[in-house]
Amino acid sequence: MGRHLSATLKRAEEPLALGLVGVMLIVAALLPFVFLVVGLVRAPAELSAGIALLGSREPWVVFLRAVASAFVVALASLLIGIPLGVLLAWTDVRGRKTALILHAFPMFLPPFLLALGWFFLFGKSGLWGSEQSSGALFSVGGSVAVEALVFAPVVTSLVALALQGIDPSLVEAARVAARPGRVATRILLPLAWPAAALGGLVVFALSLSELGVPMFLRVRAYTAVVFARLSAVQYAPGEALVLTLPMLIVSLALLAIERRVIGPRSFAVLGLRLGEATVLPLGNWRSLGTIVAWAGALATLVPLVGLAWRARTGIAALQDWIGSGLQNSIVPAAIAATLLTGIAVVLGRAIALRRPGAAALDALTVLAFVTPAAVLGVGLIGAWNRPATQSIYGTLAIIVIGFVARYAVLPTRTFAIAVAHASPHLEESARVQGAWFFRRLLRIVVPLHGRAITAAWLLAFVFCLRDLETTILFYPAGSAPLTVRIITLEANGPEPVVAALALVHVFVVASVLVVGALALRPRKPA
Amino acid sequence: MTTPISVDRVVVHRGAQDVLSEVSLSINAAEVVAILGPSGSGKSTLLRVVLGLLAPDRGLVKLNGELVSAEGRILRPVEERGLAVVFQDLALWPHLTVRGNLAFGLSAKHVPSDERSERISRVLQRVGLQGKEGRYPANLSGGERQRVAIARALVLEPRALLLDEPLSNLDAPLKRELLALLGEILHERRMTAVYVTHDLREAMRLAHRCAVLEGGRISQAGTVDQLLANPASAFVRALREDVQATTAR
Repeated sequence: MGRHLSATLKRAEEPLALGLVGVMLIVAALLPFVFLVVGLVRAPAELSAGIALLGSREPWVVFLRAVASAFVVALASLLIGIPLGVLLAWTDVRGRKTALILHAFPMFLPPFLLALGWFFLFGKSGLWGSEQSSGALFSVGGSVAVEALVFAPVVTSLVALALQGIDPSLVEAARVAARPGRVATRILLPLAWPAAALGGLVVFALSLSELGVPMFLRVRAYTAVVFARLSAVQYAPGEALVLTLPMLIVSLALLAIERRVIGPRSFAVLGLRLGEATVLPLGNWRSLGTIVAWAGALATLVPLVGLAWRARTGIAALQDWIGSGLQNSIVPAAIAATLLTGIAVVLGRAIALRRPGAAALDALTVLAFVTPAAVLGVGLIGAWNRPATQSIYGTLAIIVIGFVARYAVLPTRTFAIAVAHASPHLEESARVQGAWFFRRLLRIVVPLHGRAITAAWLLAFVFCLRDLETTILFYPAGSAPLTVRIITLEANGPEPVVAALALVHVFVVASVLVVGALALRPRKPA
Repeated sequence: MTTPISVDRVVVHRGAQDVLSEVSLSINAAEVVAILGPSGSGKSTLLRVVLGLLAPDRGLVKLNGELVSAEGRILRPVEERGLAVVFQDLALWPHLTVRGNLAFGLSAKHVPSDERSERISRVLQRVGLQGKEGRYPANLSGGERQRVAIARALVLEPRALLLDEPLSNLDAPLKRELLALLGEILHERRMTAVYVTHDLREAMRLAHRCAVLEGGRISQAGTVDQLLANPASAFVRALREDVQATTAR
């Protein structure tokens, strides 16, 4: 009897583990959507008020402007990111690896910090500021430009990663017959397009979710309209709920595009191949290529100059202003990243190996990521803000749940790609040798993909650290993370202190990335 | 104790296409059967069905008379079948030493540590790898890696050994050497084995019988001599010409 039970449990290890991950994701990411719908149905008065609001022209104008703005940001990011990705990943421009790292860095920072940096440079009292430059910055165009520069590294990095994964022999075969330009446009780009398309989709979703940049630059964003109805002044949660519906429709459309067009193809091209790729020699164009690549790469770092310049006189006062902001950022981010990495190992492997149920959970993580944070946030409030769950809603646990819901896709896809690119026989051999799921996972899968696990944790941690738009909706009183503290201080705090706090955030992220880069360094085999 | 294997009218679909179509094959205890066939003929799929890595859409698989897969279901999971496999890419775990690679399956089967050490030493000596227990796969030559893969399969004392084109990436002298070693070991242990290959010369050296798989169906089965005497398809005729050309040289 005991042996029979033990054998049954061993056989069930894998479905149980995937089931547990599924329950975690359903609680974190699906429950908010359910409560959105239930909330609407159970409050008919608020529902009709919200519908009346949606019947007016005003919210639709803001919504369509937000969608158009996100589209332009995505397009601009593609225009910057694709050529830069090719230059930095596949040509012989000087210092290309360093340039790529520097260019990519701002993508791990909260976008509004970079908007702050631009303000300290080009605002009225900025380092190089004037009335005209300030006017340009505080406009729809300024907001789009800031976001495009913030998000372009997403496209650059994905394109570069895809290009580095291309088998060099494919390009060498083409080079025999064609010039580098033709090889780039006819061979490299067609092979890397799923990565570029994924980049475009991610940027569109991030831009549509973005709250900090438009709020800071005084541009009316749809997320801000929703957010305003959850603040004390204009509190109308029912209206907020209804206002999230158009965004939910956009999210479902993004999910459909990802499922049908991009997702499966991006798996194939986003390899984690090590070793040196061959590069396309630019010949006489090498100097110009180097200048263009470095100019493009450094453009994203310029706002950090503004932050550093403005922070000179604020650093001394940091201790009085920082409070527990840093701790409130790091602790939930670390807990969430660890949980997310655990989820990623089980779910990412299941996605790569096409286990039953994995595709549905993958779709849920994509939906939660592409859904504007305001929608997810309103759903999380509806699900958890009740007397029985105050031990969760009133503590950092709610922030962890929000992070798990929003960012599960990032570490999961990172790990899934690593598993998909490894030989399936490595784990199958262990199965044939009699090893059940947990033994295989701990003794074979985890050690084999240690680098991918480290990368997944770092990615989750840094994205949780940079979050503003999810946590600002429901962070518990007295537990404001650093990003929230900076944006609330920005309204009426001293500028040098705000800049110094922003620099602290930049320093923390840079330190995490340096430690991560050291941990991920390719090692010679033992 | 080695085991007879029986595959009865097995069908495997991939989309609308049949990868295996009504394949039946019986392998006696201590018999070595080579599965020959061109690329894409379903050889590896058949091996995966026998191993239990893939459920047949229709048909039955029996090990020692026990029904282990039937009609889309895996009744005895791969972890419990007591088989061993050597894949074409060897699939040695790069983060484990030679000893670690061999000990993994033994520890999964809760073999006591004394017995584990003794079995590992014995099998490493048999394949000529004594003294290399502490090396990692990356620090071994191609031939040594092949021997580790064979040792890893043998140390479990499996009921049957399944080999999926294990020597296809080796040069001719090394291939000959390892074929001889494999032949000796299979004979010594009276081990049931399925050897997947597209090279008739390998089959001639190892197998008691051959089955030719073409387009997901068994087109011909018999001893190597029977195949050479009466080739039933263009593929087998080409194999015969290849063997004759090699012999003439």
